[in-house]
Amino acid sequence: MRTTDIIRRAGRSLRQAKTRTLLTSLAIGVGAFTITISLAGGQGGRDYADAIVNSNTDVRELVVTKESEDTGAIAEYNPDAPQVTGPAGASPFGDSIEFLGLDDLESIAEIDAVTDVTPNYSPAVDYVTTEGEKKYRATVSTFSPGVSLEYAAGGVNDDLADGEIILSEDYAKALGFSTPADAIGEVVQIGATKQRTLFSVPQTEEFSFTVRGVSSESGLAFRSQGSLLVTQQATKDLYEFVSEGSPNYNRFIVASVRVAEPGQAEEVKTILEEDGYTAQTAADLLGTVNTFINVLLGILLGFGALAVLTSIFGIVNTQYISVLERTQQIGLMKALGMSQADVGKLFTFEAAWIGFSGGAIGAGLAVIGGTIANPYISEALGLGDIYLLIFTPGQVLGVVIGLILISIVAGIMPARKASKLDPIEALRTE
Amino acid sequence: MITVKNITKTYGRKQNAFVAIDNLSFQIPSRTTVAILGKSGSGKSTLMHAMSGLDRPEKGKVIIDGKDILTLKARDVDAFRANKMSFIFQSFFIQANESCFDNVSLPLEIAKVPRSKRRAKVEAALAAVELSDKKKSRARDLSGGQKQRLAIARAIVNEPEIIFADEPTGNLDSVTGEVVEDFLFQYARDKGATLIIVTHDPDLAGKCDARIEIQDGTISKMTGLPTKGKK
Repeated sequence: MRTTDIIRRAGRSLRQAKTRTLLTSLAIGVGAFTITISLAGGQGGRDYADAIVNSNTDVRELVVTKESEDTGAIAEYNPDAPQVTGPAGASPFGDSIEFLGLDDLESIAEIDAVTDVTPNYSPAVDYVTTEGEKKYRATVSTFSPGVSLEYAAGGVNDDLADGEIILSEDYAKALGFSTPADAIGEVVQIGATKQRTLFSVPQTEEFSFTVRGVSSESGLAFRSQGSLLVTQQATKDLYEFVSEGSPNYNRFIVASVRVAEPGQAEEVKTILEEDGYTAQTAADLLGTVNTFINVLLGILLGFGALAVLTSIFGIVNTQYISVLERTQQIGLMKALGMSQADVGKLFTFEAAWIGFSGGAIGAGLAVIGGTIANPYISEALGLGDIYLLIFTPGQVLGVVIGLILISIVAGIMPARKASKLDPIEALRTE
Repeated sequence: MITVKNITKTYGRKQNAFVAIDNLSFQIPSRTTVAILGKSGSGKSTLMHAMSGLDRPEKGKVIIDGKDILTLKARDVDAFRANKMSFIFQSFFIQANESCFDNVSLPLEIAKVPRSKRRAKVEAALAAVELSDKKKSRARDLSGGQKQRLAIARAIVNEPEIIFADEPTGNLDSVTGEVVEDFLFQYARDKGATLIIVTHDPDLAGKCDARIEIQDGTISKMTGLPTKGKK
């Protein structure tokens, strides 16, 4: 018998037992629904994490710290080693921390493929203000051209000048601009105090910046929210002003290292780690987030797999009953010369059809339901215009095909029973 | 030409062994209509199953067209049945949920006849049993006589050389039974097919060219057949 004819006959047999087929399919459909939703959630989660990391880091950038010698044991006191001391008397990074000095930065810069080494100046500025407004606490960060920002107004295309600044939407509002667009071209002042050293008197100065852009509140950015972005040179100038002469001057906790090509980040990381530094690439950061997403995804998939497992017994049961019910039909087909293999195939294809319809129903409902629910989910989680459930045709197709295969496996036992039926015995049944 | 040589079929084992047919031999020339007569339990159905390759007797040969079908592989016997033989049963065994067309189409599908050629054949077979107007009806909606006519259409659609009919009129009243018989004989006559009817109806047997009477697994009487193969 031709395979196409067997498939058509299998489909017809199922249509004649609509209710049973539908119910068995629905059982698989539950599994298909869960699996499709979790795969979409995983995909969406990963894409979201990817977008977050890409909005806040640059694939050509590595974040480098000096590896601490501290192995958890109590460290010996070293009066020469500068200590970072937090408000409670303890460093937020642990008991001791190794700083990157200028010599470290120089040696890192000598590595091939490294184009630029920038210490994280993070100048401790006091406030931001504009004429006639109150002073607001602020932090200043370096604008990185490789990081994608979304703008509510204005915008920068790799050409931020040293006297220019990017505000976040919150700051623009706080500083009295009624719309983000009103802030563009206006001048804001950043106030900073020279760190107190033994022989100096406190000295506060204001630095003026022209607003070049206002970054919008995006579901992706966490870096832009609380900080004002200026050029690297501007951050350095502020840092020099604030820290010069202080004990920690030119000692940095973190430096960012730029490489020429995105692909070189990994190899530079290896070199840095051999030299006693800890380096984290954008991929590492993404990896951490993705591990978390994958664990969640795994749990959801587990539930889906459980549903599918349950439905396997449904298929076995349905097909087994079907074989018993159609003993006479099987006998007739064999008497008419249908081979054992073809009889087996007929029932295997029936199982496959059940798997297909179950998969199609479940995955279809998941896609339809997910697409409808996406805007509501994003609204509830405050993700803006980012959708958490992303259905890819490949995954949906994969779910359906996977369930067809599982159904075929489930159908093996009943199909074997059908193919082994003795036609004489079968035809005696009436 | 069908040659049956010394076939023996035993059911059960050892003490419970029951010899259903015992060392039967005969020859049926092509284009012959033969009735196999006997009481129930006489072994006539077993003989039919053995001759069609559905059952495998322990001993003996069934030679059709020069081939001993009992020595063929299962796959080849299947192909043999699909292309050369067909069956009609007392209780029709039509697929009640399927349309008449699909019922008749089944043997063609099994015999791997391409789809393009099937339609004409199915329609011709349905026309031969005067069921053309029921093509799309479900088989369950047919009357008893129509069901058996449908079974005949299914049996003749692939133009078999041999038709086995197991009590074809057993479930029908005499009038409809006669109509069904006429269709069967007409096909055998028109196509020159061999028709083997298992029955206990002497009237039906009387319409056949030859008769083989079976009693307790052996041939008690044989008429109208060449005597060469007879033991």
